[in-house]
Amino acid sequence: MEATTGVIWLIVTPFATAFIVYLIGRILARRSGAKLANRISAWLAALGLLISAYPLYLEDQIVLSNKVVLFKQGGIIFYLDGISVLLAVVVLLLGLLVVIFSARYMSSEVGAEKYYALLLAMIGGILGLGCSADLFTLWVWFEVMAITSYMLVAFYRNQPASLEAGFKYLVQSAAGSVFVLIGIFIVFAWNGTLDMMRIRYFLQPPLPPILLVAGGCFLIGFGVKAALVPLHTWLPDAHSQAPSGISAMLSGIVIEAGLIALLRVTSIMGAASELWGNLMLGVGALNMLLGNLMALRQTQVKRLLAYSSIGHMGYMMFGLGVIYRFGILNGAGGAFFHLFNHAMMKGLAFLAAGVLLYVLYIAKGDHGTLTLDDLNGASKRYPLTVFTLSVALLGLGGLPPLAGFMSKWQIFVAGFQTQDTVAMLLVVFAALNSVLSLGYYAPLVNRMYRLQPSVAVENGAAVPKTMVVPLVVLTLLIVVLGFYPSLLNWLTEPAAGILFLFIRG
Amino acid sequence: MTLSLVSLTFIAVIGLLAIGLYALLVVHNLIKVVVALQILAKGAILGFILAGRINGQIGLAESLALTVIIVDTIVAVIGLSLAVQIRHHMGTLDVSALTRLRR
Repeated sequence: MEATTGVIWLIVTPFATAFIVYLIGRILARRSGAKLANRISAWLAALGLLISAYPLYLEDQIVLSNKVVLFKQGGIIFYLDGISVLLAVVVLLLGLLVVIFSARYMSSEVGAEKYYALLLAMIGGILGLGCSADLFTLWVWFEVMAITSYMLVAFYRNQPASLEAGFKYLVQSAAGSVFVLIGIFIVFAWNGTLDMMRIRYFLQPPLPPILLVAGGCFLIGFGVKAALVPLHTWLPDAHSQAPSGISAMLSGIVIEAGLIALLRVTSIMGAASELWGNLMLGVGALNMLLGNLMALRQTQVKRLLAYSSIGHMGYMMFGLGVIYRFGILNGAGGAFFHLFNHAMMKGLAFLAAGVLLYVLYIAKGDHGTLTLDDLNGASKRYPLTVFTLSVALLGLGGLPPLAGFMSKWQIFVAGFQTQDTVAMLLVVFAALNSVLSLGYYAPLVNRMYRLQPSVAVENGAAVPKTMVVPLVVLTLLIVVLGFYPSLLNWLTEPAAGILFLFIRG
Repeated sequence: MTLSLVSLTFIAVIGLLAIGLYALLVVHNLIKVVVALQILAKGAILGFILAGRINGQIGLAESLALTVIIVDTIVAVIGLSLAVQIRHHMGTLDVSALTRLRR
């Protein structure tokens, strides 16, 4: 396989599989009933994701030797670099585990083949977003990801709550995407090109004010997707109402994809990197504070996890703000490491919560909400699931020796390397926030292990075996990365290097 | 002083975006919310045409505008279908009825 066509295979495979999954799923659903159709479409989807991992593996050999893969066809440019590989690895890994998890979770839903087809299309959209090297292609893939996720959030279309969450999400996200378009046409009018590398070359300091306006529009537009405070209000609703596998994808990778898109557009305006850096540091602090404070007062498990995602976006923004404002490479390294860890930990937390939701409610045909009280004493009946959920929660809270501690530590070290008073105060603020976040993770763990089993737990169903596999894989990953954080350097360092190159021009 | 075509279009872009944003903030009917999103998107499309006119790449700008039209039609379709489902299950199209998740 040629290197340049490999990029196309990487993006096309999920879409082709989505089509096949839907077609075969529909035919089987007509002929042999929904049960078989759901199972077959799940395994087909998993197969498709494995196939698209192969071109990524081939491409990765090239990217690791510090080259980039470029595919150019007319005005459409695809470009594979460290950041694309990072995003692709995270999305394929988490996507595969989510598909395996959903095989049982969605087995009694009507029309689960649509779910897998949309999930594959969303994964394809995220892969494309990571690889696009011109502004308009970036927007198109961003919209592919957004549109499929609207439908996935509102997948339970008989539940008023999920319809409400889906509509709120659609309105905010669509308004945000118009802001992205405004930014793109301003940049297009000014430079006459959409190619990111040429734009980076054209835009030398000082930036004219009109381009700062464009940058502000990008920040608002992609900020909606990346859940930057105060544009985050869709997130808790959408993440808590979506099917659990989709919650894991949304929290683990979709908001991060929004962040990557934001990095792409702000790094081509690296001439004003100090301004973007200041904004990111400020927004990051806001995200941490608001996410953690709101999570403290939640009574529903998935809503709590959703607010904690807002807090974790704050840590990533802080690390990125450090590289934009002070040019410390470690900041981006830490932020990308945290991106990976957060995807795994939050994915695990949502999947484990999904298993508990399944055994306590969905297995009985009830689409209820999982409250904190339902989890009282759950460890007595579901020791393994509760253990994995506890690992995820403590990792998110940043307890050593789990992966979440290592990435937060790297971000904090980068903050101290700046030798800047404000940045160091922000590190202290972030560390205090990390302690604050334990204020809602630790009681939840305590509740599951120490309290008397609730009525829901005592009447709960047994845990299906296929659901346990993704939980165990993710738990092992979190623990191993906590002990050996350098295992991931091959992934995070090229990404940080590319970001640094773009910011410096 | 007569207004040139470019400045007229510029005013139209700003006007459409302003109307769309204002409508998004004040309307209470779900269908009208989708219409407001459409007005916003139309402003952005006209903006692309204006940008192409300014830098002399009107052909490229037109093809971009066509793509935006397709995407934004899909968004409108999904928005309307969600509105239909909401009407079906909750019996109203009023935004202020969507308070189930507020806490």
